[in-house]
Amino acid sequence: MYELKINGRTYRVSAYEDEPLLWVIRERLRLTGTKFGCGMGVCGSCTVLIDGKAARSCLVPVSSVAGKEILTIEGIPENHPLKKAWIEEQVPQCGYCQSGQIMEAYALLLENPRPTKKQVIERMSSHLCRCGTYNRIVKAILKASGGKT
Amino acid sequence: MITRRDLIKMGGLTLSIMLMPAGYRLLKAEEVPKRYAPNLWINLSKDNVLTVFVNKSEMGQGVYTGLPMIIAEELDFPWERVKVQPAPAGKPYVDPKMGIQLTGGSTSVSNMYEILRLAGASMREMLLASASKKLGIPKEKLIAKGGYIIAGDKRYTYGEFSELANKEPLPEKPRLKSPQEFIYIGKGVPRIDVPEKTNGKAIFGIDTFEEGMLYMVVERPPYFGAKPLKVDTSEVKREFPQVEVFTLSSGGVAVCGDSFWTCQKARQKLRVEWSESFVKGWKDKDFENFFLSKLKDKGQVVKVKGTPQKAYEESPIKVEETYIQPYLYHATMEPMSCLAWLKKDECIVYAPTQSQTWVLESAKRISGLPESRIKVITTYLGGGFGRKANVEFVAEALEASKKLGKPVKLIYTREDDIKSGYFRPYSATHIKASADKEGNINSLSFKIAVQPLLNGRASVEGVENMFYAIPNLLVERVDVELPVSFWFWRSVGSTHNAFSIETIIDRIAYKAGKDPAELRLKLLKDNPVAYRVVEYAMEKSGWSKNFGKGKAVGMAYHYSFGSHACHVAQVSLEKNKVRVHKIVAVIDVGPLVVHPDLIRSQVEGAIAMGLSMALKEQVSFKDGGVENTNFHAYQILTAEEMPQVEVHILTSKREMGGVGEPGLPPTAPAVANALLWGYGIRINSLPIRL
Ligand code: FES
Ligand code: FES
Repeated sequence: MYELKINGRTYRVSAYEDEPLLWVIRERLRLTGTKFGCGMGVCGSCTVLIDGKAARSCLVPVSSVAGKEILTIEGIPENHPLKKAWIEEQVPQCGYCQSGQIMEAYALLLENPRPTKKQVIERMSSHLCRCGTYNRIVKAILKASGGKT
Repeated sequence: MITRRDLIKMGGLTLSIMLMPAGYRLLKAEEVPKRYAPNLWINLSKDNVLTVFVNKSEMGQGVYTGLPMIIAEELDFPWERVKVQPAPAGKPYVDPKMGIQLTGGSTSVSNMYEILRLAGASMREMLLASASKKLGIPKEKLIAKGGYIIAGDKRYTYGEFSELANKEPLPEKPRLKSPQEFIYIGKGVPRIDVPEKTNGKAIFGIDTFEEGMLYMVVERPPYFGAKPLKVDTSEVKREFPQVEVFTLSSGGVAVCGDSFWTCQKARQKLRVEWSESFVKGWKDKDFENFFLSKLKDKGQVVKVKGTPQKAYEESPIKVEETYIQPYLYHATMEPMSCLAWLKKDECIVYAPTQSQTWVLESAKRISGLPESRIKVITTYLGGGFGRKANVEFVAEALEASKKLGKPVKLIYTREDDIKSGYFRPYSATHIKASADKEGNINSLSFKIAVQPLLNGRASVEGVENMFYAIPNLLVERVDVELPVSFWFWRSVGSTHNAFSIETIIDRIAYKAGKDPAELRLKLLKDNPVAYRVVEYAMEKSGWSKNFGKGKAVGMAYHYSFGSHACHVAQVSLEKNKVRVHKIVAVIDVGPLVVHPDLIRSQVEGAIAMGLSMALKEQVSFKDGGVENTNFHAYQILTAEEMPQVEVHILTSKREMGGVGEPGLPPTAPAVANALLWGYGIRINSLPIRL
């Protein structure tokens, strides 16, 4: 049995010791906004924040996060500038990668509230989007951070 | 599932669109024959909410927005009050031009445009008629606008008259808006699915649950064409006694357990002996040799015009090239996943499918139940690109649920997904083309060896029907048989054929020292729409000042899925890596632009995928199976590699074209052509490797 703090709430859940946090969040707790894409840390779909840092939850064993603050897409308020910018720029197509993209952007802005376009592109290049929404993602992040688009 | 009864009960004003032998018809709910259900339901409720039951899969192309928007336009209804629900699968929800319920071929909006307008306009007139009776004011004195009936200085919501309006007969010939009156068409509205997708609330196939469900993963052979001979579960059983293992008719071995992670752990202990296969042991080179040898087989002549061989021999300028293009993986970000529950007398399937019809067929076959006992719930699709029109994964989940008597959620891991195949087929193409001194192409002989899709029609797609006026033409195909499964991939045959044809044109131009854009204009002189698309691309890209030998700028034009597209790519080589800076894209979509931003985003996406194919993608093989089984090795385009994209949309008086696919084919050849003019590099196989 693990005790997890997610989006300010405490969940008790049983899982295998080596079970990736991703599957616990998604399938056991049914917070399905966090997505499975590759299971090996390459695509970024499963990104969550752990104690304020972006982490690929498919690589994080659930046993390692007890007591840590986990933030998922559901925990970011709907009126957050990032989410608003995402809607204004009409970023998502199929939408599947977008939770991970937004979580990464959120972590980026925590570290660097006014990133340059170059910094945004560099950071977001570790996230895959098969629908090709990259340019809109960059625009939305710059918009949310008040930077030049 | 929504039934006719539910809708009658729902109250308000309800119309339905139904496919009849003579085409679409608009019907009132009670007019729908009992044993049939219509293709599309539209309901305007008492509290003034418009709900549309859409018979298409939303996979990112914006169909949940495009179709209701057209109804809301004629109804003159506020967009914030429009809702969408996926229509449940059944005979009724069939697309007339395709005969099955399938989302693909870029046809969604174009097929339904007129009937949707008629539906909105009819509803508006019925509301006006009932308001006139109730208020005792002549119809001419009433205005229906923005969801309100306006009578002098008083206004009432549409919803207030919806019940009454439902009793009105359908108007014979409702007045349609003139384009000047449009509030949405041509301008667009915010996408209906975007907020949900931004907040992590959109439900995809992988996000569905039923109480008491089991999870399932499917172990696949290490090489294509093999079946399980012996399945040794002794180790699995020792550690995971509850886990069920059995073979599936797809040739995979199912591992079912109480959680996804249980299945993943259990499958490590599984020992399967696989049968032999023709391709066992094959590497990339073996595929190449095989396809090249097939190219020497006698082809099937698809089209012949004039005397291509004679023209070739007599011409001063000749080019002859052989192209190799690899198997491509769809790489939908959501892998195949499905939840199926086959009970004794009912069957429920949640699937991210592009083909509700085929899901239904599978469910009928596997369950033995009649259609009325089967409920197919289409979730959002985390990418489709053709792959999710294939329903083998759905059948696997159904089979497992039947065997175990429980709901079963199947999840393909990324590795399982890529190993499941259904790739864009591999192809080898041989082209001979000739031209006069001016570079005017006078002959083209095209021969392709490829696994045939659509009875081979896809093999020559984009060549056999091209608009270039080439007097001597030969198109041949060789149908290849191999145990590697293949399928539709965004823009299908045009993915490979646009590449070979469009690069050949530039090779000729290069040899003749002529401008390839001018050359295309000459070849397209009989088709004013195509001509204008190329001309417009020249203008918008600043072709005359940017193009030239030594400048890495390239163009490609292609017609597919009813639309013409021409791209101009600006490229450079940086440390031997191709860098695409900008793509100017022009697309002609036919008579009108319904939703410009949807078109733009589709073209942006198609370009990203086309570029990914040009620069990075290839399924590589080891021992006859996939070697690059996850994204670290099967790489796709990233944000860093995404060029600036400029999309220009043109219209022309003709049938409406698609928008999801046509932006893809010209991308790779435009880049390759830029490399030819800029650096003298000839690309004959993809992905581009320098
Ligand atoms: S699923 Fe975790 S990075 Fe891809
Ligand atoms: S929006 Fe579809 S994968 Fe990114």
